[in-house]
Amino acid sequence: MATVEGIAGPVPAGRPAGAWTIAWRRLRRDKVALASAGVLILIILACFGGAPLAAKLVGHGPDDLFPYAQSSLKPVGLWSHVPDTSITESLDPLAPPPTKYGTTLFVLGGDGPLGRDEFLRVLYGGRVSLEVAIGAAFLAVLIGAVLGTVAAYFGGVVDSVISRFIDLVMAFPLLLFLVMVGYTTVGNRLSRYTLHGLFSPGVLALIVIIGAFTWFYPARIVRSEILSLRRREFVTAAESTGAGDPWIIRKHLLPHVAPTLLVWGSIAVATNIMLEAGVTFLGAGIKIPTASWGTLLASTWGTVANPTGYNPATFSAWPTLAPTGAIFITVLAFNQLGESLRAVLDPQAIR
Amino acid sequence: MTIGWRYLLRRILVSIVLLWLLSIITFAIYFAIPQEPAAFLIDPQHATPAMIEKAHKQLGVDKPVTTQYGKFVWRALHGDFGVAFSGLSYNAQSELEGTAVGAEVIRAAAVTGWLALGGIVLVILFAIPAAMAAASRVGSWLDKTLLAVALIGISTHPIVIGVVLQTFVGNRWHVTPPGGYCPILDSASAVFDPLATHPEVCGGFSDWASHMILPWITFALFFIALYMRIVRVRLLDVLGADYIRAARAKGAPESRVLRRHALPNTIPQLITMMGMDIGTAVGVAVYVETVYSLPGLGRLTLGAIRGDAGFDLPIIIAVVMIVGAAIIFLNLLADMVLAVVDPTIETRAPRRAQATGGVV
Repeated sequence: MATVEGIAGPVPAGRPAGAWTIAWRRLRRDKVALASAGVLILIILACFGGAPLAAKLVGHGPDDLFPYAQSSLKPVGLWSHVPDTSITESLDPLAPPPTKYGTTLFVLGGDGPLGRDEFLRVLYGGRVSLEVAIGAAFLAVLIGAVLGTVAAYFGGVVDSVISRFIDLVMAFPLLLFLVMVGYTTVGNRLSRYTLHGLFSPGVLALIVIIGAFTWFYPARIVRSEILSLRRREFVTAAESTGAGDPWIIRKHLLPHVAPTLLVWGSIAVATNIMLEAGVTFLGAGIKIPTASWGTLLASTWGTVANPTGYNPATFSAWPTLAPTGAIFITVLAFNQLGESLRAVLDPQAIR
Repeated sequence: MTIGWRYLLRRILVSIVLLWLLSIITFAIYFAIPQEPAAFLIDPQHATPAMIEKAHKQLGVDKPVTTQYGKFVWRALHGDFGVAFSGLSYNAQSELEGTAVGAEVIRAAAVTGWLALGGIVLVILFAIPAAMAAASRVGSWLDKTLLAVALIGISTHPIVIGVVLQTFVGNRWHVTPPGGYCPILDSASAVFDPLATHPEVCGGFSDWASHMILPWITFALFFIALYMRIVRVRLLDVLGADYIRAARAKGAPESRVLRRHALPNTIPQLITMMGMDIGTAVGVAVYVETVYSLPGLGRLTLGAIRGDAGFDLPIIIAVVMIVGAAIIFLNLLADMVLAVVDPTIETRAPRRAQATGGVV
């Protein structure tokens, strides 16, 4: 039997398209969303796969120093050949540089007085920034979903305690606490955990700290959504069939909250990229020489503890433009993807 | 329309408990971190244990944590936040003298307050008209341009905006001072600018305003972009409603429909968003103060945290308390304003309010 008789004529048999299928169909028609997703995939590929590949191709790493990579105090520009040496061979600043040209500073030139390869640093820095941003957003969603669900589902004293806890974390000046913990020995000790070299130093610490102070937002969203879902008929129906609490939460409640969390997570990644750069600028995040988009900005403009300020003699636009552009494109793509997801996942949307 | 007094009282009580917990947690974090506060007075590397003990006694950190905390609460309740650890010196009677934290924090809070106030005025002045212009001609080039500008605004880091404005407007074109702060009232005092090579003397309203223009713009740009998008979307929602069709049908001009019928309906959501963004605003203020060397709360705390001698507890706890109190109070205020302007919100029935998780 291929069809059954519906009110408006025959309808296809079998399962109707699920919410995710419908959302996927809508997403495929959204050009902005597809473009954002494409850009993000490119960026992730470039940062995680492309960075080591590029380093192999040009024959030096992101932290290698090239003191000759500057001309008249400014870092060299695009596509320059520089002497492949990490030491200055003569103390006389007017002495000609060694004539043996060994390496190419690929595409973006040097990063300032130390002359590191800016292009490689943007790629490797993206790896660190993305790890921090995605990791922290994931952690926040995880904590927020668990606490929000527990608060709304069980209610009563549990709800009061968790809600006041949410209020408390909300009242914390997040940035000041990030900086406070970042400057301490606790932060330094956390920075040493790299999961056997899986992450760069400092990444895990930032993930934990940012996640621990931003979970209240998804927790509030989940709590209010589950509170309204809790009294709906389908939950009562599930209860009447004898379903247990874990089953109802997993099978009937969380699937309704997942789209909202996905949207929040996508926008949170954008916010976290900004936060990483900000905290590093304030001197408490990733430490130089580890490359991240924040440390790239900080090595040009200095940190709070060590401000560089504007100096027309050494000023060059590239070391600012490169990380700024990288942050801009990534944040833009994550924000746009989040907005598009919000539109396609909304069951009330007419399209 | 009205605010239930019981509800207000309950919210205020909860706020006080929250502030109290905030102070406990700050103390706990401070004492969980191993450090040597004696470094503020002496060099602990070359000091005898007796000297360190004397320094601890003078700083008041020799007593148990609970005693110190009790003393802090007792003094704070009397409006006294103690003396900062840094900048202590001995006077002629060989007594310790230092800066009172309360006065210092109030001075810094005034700077941050001016920054935020000017920024909010800019946000309201620009975000709402831009949103109305965009919403009145959906899909036009004006709408698309405004949306693109807003997208750039929320995707560029405030630090970068600040640094770029400072470099070009301040340092290259010399339109405004590149940084520093001038008091609004004093007729003359030295500019606060650690980067300045020649200390200038300035003060008064025009000097104050010229130093604040760039910080205000930097602070506001991010929020203008954010709020323009939100108000635009909300306006588009509202413009589809039946009562708008009714207003148009009776012949009201489009500008009046937008201003008198649609705009008021976006205000409750605007207030809710503002309440939730106060934390973000504090963060942006810290960036702005850092870039332009404004002596506000952000810089004060950063100085207290990253000092060579360690954490300056009296300053940190005072700032955390004042910022926490501001966030809690402004959130409460947002909820109260919301209850007044939005007649669908009921605060008189605390039982129901609790079931839906407070007012919002």
